[in-house]
Amino acid sequence: MIGIIANPASGKDIRRLVSYATVVDNNEKVNIVKRIVLAAQGCGVSSIFIMPDTYQIGYKVIEDLTLEKRLSAKVDILDMEMKGSHHDTTYAAKLMKEMNIKCVLVLGGDGTSRAVAKTIQEIPIIAISTGTNNVYPIMMEGTIAGMAAAAVCFGYGEKNIKRDKRIEIYKDKELLDIALVDAVISKNLFVGAKAIWNVENILKVITIKSHPASIGFSALVGCKQIVSEDEDYGLYVDLNNKYSQLIAPLGAGIIERIHMSEPKILRLNEEYVYLADTNGVIALDGEREIEFKQGEKLTFKITRKGPVRVKVSEVLENAQKSGFFIR
Amino acid sequence: MSLDKGKIIEMYKTMKRIREFEVKAQNLFAEGSIPGFVHLYIGEEAVATGVCANLNEDDYITSTHRGHGHIIAKGGDLRYMMAELYGKSTGYCKGKGGSMHIADATKGILGANGIVGAGHNIATGAGLSAKYKGTQQVCICFFGDASTNQGTFHESLNLASIWKLPIIFVCENNLYGISMSQSRHQAIKDISDRAVAYNMPGIAVDGNDVFAVYEAAEEAIKRARNGQGPTLIECKTYRHRGHFEGDAGAYKPTEEQKEWLEKDPIPRIEKFMIENKIVIEKELEDLRNEVKGQIEEAIEFANNSPYPELETAVNDIYSDIVEEVRVR
Repeated sequence: MIGIIANPASGKDIRRLVSYATVVDNNEKVNIVKRIVLAAQGCGVSSIFIMPDTYQIGYKVIEDLTLEKRLSAKVDILDMEMKGSHHDTTYAAKLMKEMNIKCVLVLGGDGTSRAVAKTIQEIPIIAISTGTNNVYPIMMEGTIAGMAAAAVCFGYGEKNIKRDKRIEIYKDKELLDIALVDAVISKNLFVGAKAIWNVENILKVITIKSHPASIGFSALVGCKQIVSEDEDYGLYVDLNNKYSQLIAPLGAGIIERIHMSEPKILRLNEEYVYLADTNGVIALDGEREIEFKQGEKLTFKITRKGPVRVKVSEVLENAQKSGFFIR
Repeated sequence: MSLDKGKIIEMYKTMKRIREFEVKAQNLFAEGSIPGFVHLYIGEEAVATGVCANLNEDDYITSTHRGHGHIIAKGGDLRYMMAELYGKSTGYCKGKGGSMHIADATKGILGANGIVGAGHNIATGAGLSAKYKGTQQVCICFFGDASTNQGTFHESLNLASIWKLPIIFVCENNLYGISMSQSRHQAIKDISDRAVAYNMPGIAVDGNDVFAVYEAAEEAIKRARNGQGPTLIECKTYRHRGHFEGDAGAYKPTEEQKEWLEKDPIPRIEKFMIENKIVIEKELEDLRNEVKGQIEEAIEFANNSPYPELETAVNDIYSDIVEEVRVR
């Protein structure tokens, strides 16, 4: 039994104006889900649950595949009330957890994976990028993802899953939110169009996954120092003109010159405390989310409580060695 | 981003001015003081405000049958607007056009429009003129979700993209075309998806968040003035009232209405202004009263204005038949 969560809102934000970000329309998401369903059922999965959404991706998949007489698995839409927001994703993930689903495929951007990670901690997830500048989900063919989900479902993934890190953000000891890639403290006063792109507003970056071969503020840190998912620490930097300058890919097609401090290490479970000297906003995985006020104390902590991620290629290799494809 | 305290207060006043104007229009229509039809913009104030706060006086806008908000946000005179709604001779159309034909060329307001989708072509013409003359002006084309099913939408986006015209197509997706929900008249959810077909950027924003709209419009206008061509911005919003006054909106589910009322753009910006110490409660109250005063003044102006004389009925029209009628 596998689950599919596809975010109809990903891939449409202001980054198409301030950079050259990818456009993924909802019909393509329907196509990707079809390929997942067909691949999973082709590999023996008999039951698939899909989150309902405002574009009705799941219903379109069922209708089209039924008309084409290609559907043999039982595909159901989760019975839940829709809000048309990220709450749907988080709630669908919660339901899938309760249903003891074996593997959840998540289509969307970093924000979608983050919304899933808020409730799913034990079920392996496969995060497929249909968003912008993604670091956590990766671009992947739906057929391959569906095959990998099937392999996990039949027990071939136990050695090839990995629990990821996460950044926890606290105020007054209350967990406000989490991030799977980076948390950026900015002087922006409001959430507005959500994406964050103006370097002059950025004060600090805290990241758990930095590499120059990605895009965004984690890539900025990655242009100085690389941290992989496997390493039990993260990095934090200050952005200020007094520091030396480097170039980094802040957006799709956007290489910026930025003044940044030397990265400092933040170890697992170590706390980094930020005392706000101005009002501002914290962006999580590239989207402005948490407004804070001058004088507030915010604590950032890196833990190993992130989602369990399926290493797709390794799972399929393991499945092949175990004869999964011999039928 | 160029939003300082003064600009935020101005944006709030514009939103509040639209809301107060519309609430008054609603009441005046209900009591029979306003003839004809009114289509109210209540609930959608953040869109017109967030977009027009980025414009210069000589930039253009085209509007719709639901045009009061656009016109106020572009600087239309409340007194002449209200007089027009009353059908008085001091109104923008000398009392002969009504709500759906208000225009003010001196402020770049190319007119409200009773024909769904007609603004697209006008905006394309205005954009062409700005490009041809090299004026650095931009044109904002406001329209609703259902009008994107009209040929004019597709023709206009096509031409605007080919010629890289300085136009920002702003779709106010309030989920309904008259009484038909978007899901019943379109096979897509995000109208911004249609931009891809015309090789222009298309984005979707929270149309009830004036800052989100402002940021999106700011970037799109920057592109347009730089000669990079048009943009399609879809603002997700909701009209609180029926399609027109007299339509009870029974087709809108109660839960849906409740949910959107919680996202009302005016309390949202008020909360933001208080929390971020842009104003204190007393100053906010003063701003509300200032706006109320402006609306009262507009109503008084309209009330005290005369109706048009009978003989002016055939003035200011295009037909050659005028003289014949005048003689009779």
